[in-house]
Amino acid sequence: MAVTFPSLAFFEALQREMRAERERFSRLGFFDTTFGVRVLAEGGGRPMAEFVLAFEVFDCVGTRDGLGGAEPDFVLEGPLAAWREMLDTIHALGAADTAHSLNTLTHFGEGLRVRYDDPDGHDKLYRFAESIQEFIDLSARIDFTYPDGSRPPARREPIRRMEA
Amino acid sequence: MSYLSTIDFAEDDAFVDRFHRAMRGDLDLSWMQAGTEPVPCHPQNEWRGLTLRDLDVGSYGFTDMPELIRENRSFAPRGAVLPAGLPDLQADVNRKSEVWAYNVEGYYEEAMTRQWNATTDIPWAELQHTELPEDIGKAYAQLLTFLTEVEMIATDVPAKWMGRLNADFFEVKNFIATQAMDEARHAEVFRKRALSTGFGLGRASGHNECNLKFLRDADSFAEASLTLHLQAEGMVLTLFRFSEYIAPTEGDKKLFRLVMQDEARHVGYGMQHLKWVIDHFPEKRELIHRHLDEAENFVFGAGYATEVMEPFIILAGKGLGPENIRQGVRITAAFQLKQAEEYFERLAKCGLPERRERSRLSKFVEMNRQMVTSL
Repeated sequence: MAVTFPSLAFFEALQREMRAERERFSRLGFFDTTFGVRVLAEGGGRPMAEFVLAFEVFDCVGTRDGLGGAEPDFVLEGPLAAWREMLDTIHALGAADTAHSLNTLTHFGEGLRVRYDDPDGHDKLYRFAESIQEFIDLSARIDFTYPDGSRPPARREPIRRMEA
Repeated sequence: MSYLSTIDFAEDDAFVDRFHRAMRGDLDLSWMQAGTEPVPCHPQNEWRGLTLRDLDVGSYGFTDMPELIRENRSFAPRGAVLPAGLPDLQADVNRKSEVWAYNVEGYYEEAMTRQWNATTDIPWAELQHTELPEDIGKAYAQLLTFLTEVEMIATDVPAKWMGRLNADFFEVKNFIATQAMDEARHAEVFRKRALSTGFGLGRASGHNECNLKFLRDADSFAEASLTLHLQAEGMVLTLFRFSEYIAPTEGDKKLFRLVMQDEARHVGYGMQHLKWVIDHFPEKRELIHRHLDEAENFVFGAGYATEVMEPFIILAGKGLGPENIRQGVRITAAFQLKQAEEYFERLAKCGLPERRERSRLSKFVEMNRQMVTSL
């Protein structure tokens, strides 16, 4: 059954996919960070959904709705359209292409922005860059819809990173 | 062979006699009475395994290590009994504040689990089928030449200091050993990628190498760490992220994500070391500023040298046409601004918020900000 993006169910599905790839994430190494995801409504920039994702050792140990009370290392923030463009690409190609890697989208804040208070926390986005990218790329395997009921495009190519 | 034993063991009657007795079964066993502390050590997190933090117990731990290491002058592991006759290795660095960083043991464990292989983890076969246009290919090969130069010195600096640190700084020595390996792998991957573009290597950079020599020839480990880990690698981390942003293929993007992970870890150590120094020895603040004054002069000359900056402009603008160049200049200027901003942010977090005002780089930041606005 399809889950919706953005929703807690979507990130719980990613968490399950990560656990199914435990060996691969173990090879990528310790992955210790807690970060936030903020999806903004189009136009006004009002947050329409916020989530906290916690990672420890080789696992996603927690997902929860809302950022209240959390002290994330950084928050990935952007309008639904920017998230959708990234997820559509991943779904179609099996992994992000050159224009839609998280670093590329956040580097100048053109697609998504990185919010942080502590530069040490901010640098964790880069200390764990490959783990975070591969975690997000797992969305290629998830059956999901957007709030308007539409779906990401069907896969054009086999999933690259995970099944190579 | 300048160091000679004071004993000729084969001719030493006491030594030879002891050897014969042991071989006849008459064991000495005095080492079994070492009297060292028996301590329980268990993994706090079984998934993580037994970490160096789990060994921070009793006389073996690092939390209670004194600022001055007066007793151990040898290779003896911290916590072992030090018998008479151990050699004095004359370590250059015997003060904890010269090397220590909050969470250094954590950075070591992270480094050990996040190692990767430049030969097998990059999709070389995929990259082999990617042909780059001549202007992009030459600019990329020049960027990779510069990065190889940088990573070679970044390998040499931790390797140079590793054997000069007192053996009691076990966690730091191990961390900088992983750094030397990381940097060697970076030099390897950049050289491999430069040659695999089909354009070969580009030109070495005099300005860049003067900066690298400054890093290598630091008078103390603390100076070397300040300029290597925090300043240079901090700026290189932003550069790697920018390089990922402008990388022409997905394989190149992966390459830069892997190197940025290592670089960010080294920056983390540098930040936590500087915080440690400022927290424990605030009187060193002025010395740090003076070292940064000169380091920033070098880094400005290296980072903005023609053969370093122009490849960025071409890669960011995706070509040599006038519009490409205009776009490339705009993006490169924004990158340079970001690089300086993040440098000042890190220093402020470590306890040097005044650096932004004192630094001559601030003038450049303002100049660059005006230029970005006008473009």
